[in-house]
Amino acid sequence: MDVAHSQSEHHEPARDRILIVDDQASSRLLIGSVLEAAGYTRLAYAGDGVEAIEWLAANTADIVILDIRMPRMDGFEVCREIRGRLALDLPILVQTGIQEADCRVDAFKVGASDIVSKPLNPGELVSRVRLHLERRRMIGRLQRYQDRMEDELRAAQSMQLALLPGPEDVAEILQPRGAAMTAFYRASHMLGGDLWQVFPVDETRFAVFMVDLSGHGVSAAINAFRVNMITAGLVQERAEPARWLAALNRTLVPILPVEHFATAFYAVIDAGAGEMRYAVAGAPPPLILRGDGRWEELSGRGLILGCLADAEYECFSAQLGPQDRLFAYSDALYEDFENPDASLGAEDIAMAVQAEAAAGSDAFSARLLTRLFGRPDAEFRDDLTFLLIGLNAS
Amino acid sequence: MEYRSEFTGSPVVVMIEGVLTFDDHERFRELVGTLADQAPGPVVFDLSGLTMIDSAGIGMLIMANDRIVKRGGGLRLRGVSGQVAKVVELSRIEQLIPIG
Repeated sequence: MDVAHSQSEHHEPARDRILIVDDQASSRLLIGSVLEAAGYTRLAYAGDGVEAIEWLAANTADIVILDIRMPRMDGFEVCREIRGRLALDLPILVQTGIQEADCRVDAFKVGASDIVSKPLNPGELVSRVRLHLERRRMIGRLQRYQDRMEDELRAAQSMQLALLPGPEDVAEILQPRGAAMTAFYRASHMLGGDLWQVFPVDETRFAVFMVDLSGHGVSAAINAFRVNMITAGLVQERAEPARWLAALNRTLVPILPVEHFATAFYAVIDAGAGEMRYAVAGAPPPLILRGDGRWEELSGRGLILGCLADAEYECFSAQLGPQDRLFAYSDALYEDFENPDASLGAEDIAMAVQAEAAAGSDAFSARLLTRLFGRPDAEFRDDLTFLLIGLNAS
Repeated sequence: MEYRSEFTGSPVVVMIEGVLTFDDHERFRELVGTLADQAPGPVVFDLSGLTMIDSAGIGMLIMANDRIVKRGGGLRLRGVSGQVAKVVELSRIEQLIPIG
């Protein structure tokens, strides 16, 4: 990053284009000669506001030096025009006479960047011109830097979205194994630390995995990419949730900084047998929504990932009938730090999911968010993921 | 987040109050630095005034534990309740930091 480079280095007066607007020819000449003596050679002149606006419509200036009292169109009007239509960031240096003290506040109100008093002090004029040109260059550099960062973040964001399985990938694995899934993911800062995956285990079983890396933004996203690479290699362990999470944990411990960790849920589902085996690492307990309207929270627990290399995980099991659904979600769904009393309980979530899932899978995620938060594009302070898995989908 | 402690005695007891989230990173690091300078022995974080914690907050507790253990002390948490107790229970950090 070179935005902080010194101010003097970029001071090349010959490059800057300055428009001088004054109805007095003698004033224009005076300002012009002062600036030329300071090294500014690209000078343009306008005799009133109309000429100034015409010139600015056809050319670009780096700074405008503007008189207030002029025929046809005065300096206030020129300021308004520039700020309203032409360039919000163009520095405008307004000259006012001593008897025009009231003008000063008005000039700032209409968008002047700074004021110089008449009669002009040549040293002061040059200093102020130089200051505003440097400031403009600095802002330009920051703007270009920000644009580049945004482009890079957008590229990284699409790479991250490409990590997540698409609906066809999910259907290819789940459909032949008697299940269907709706997934929702949204990062809070373009990039996020949530990730979910599905894997085939054998001909009748599949596995589903959801992970939430602590933190958000770039570092969490990089860790999500790492997890994605690690899990691609965990093939031998796929049928065994506890062994699978333990293996992931062992690999993460040396990678993650001490204050970073991950929460995760991994389940192997056998739709035909109506059974799910799962292991948990600090994740919010997923819900089972029964076909008859009852619901329960999975009771399995386990240590967060990435802290203790020899941590052991326990495998739990649960029955999952043909009309039942499994709902797994990240903590962003219920934690509300701005308004703790609005934090949702498991029952609130279960009721909402039951109601919206019963209405079909079309637009389930948008309907669920609307029911819980009033609108489908509600904002969250953390990355949000949820998965709804139903069995016996036909 | 606010913290209060005399930084004397054994264990050194630190009252941690308010909410402990990502935004408290600087302040929490300052606490861990002070403990490194002034509390060579065991430390207790009393969380009875802590109303909410997020995953970054859990990470900070783990980081504090790591520092304190590495210099030969020990960290213990007490007074967890409400949302903090729920997050602590889900994360199973009692396997890393003793609670009670």
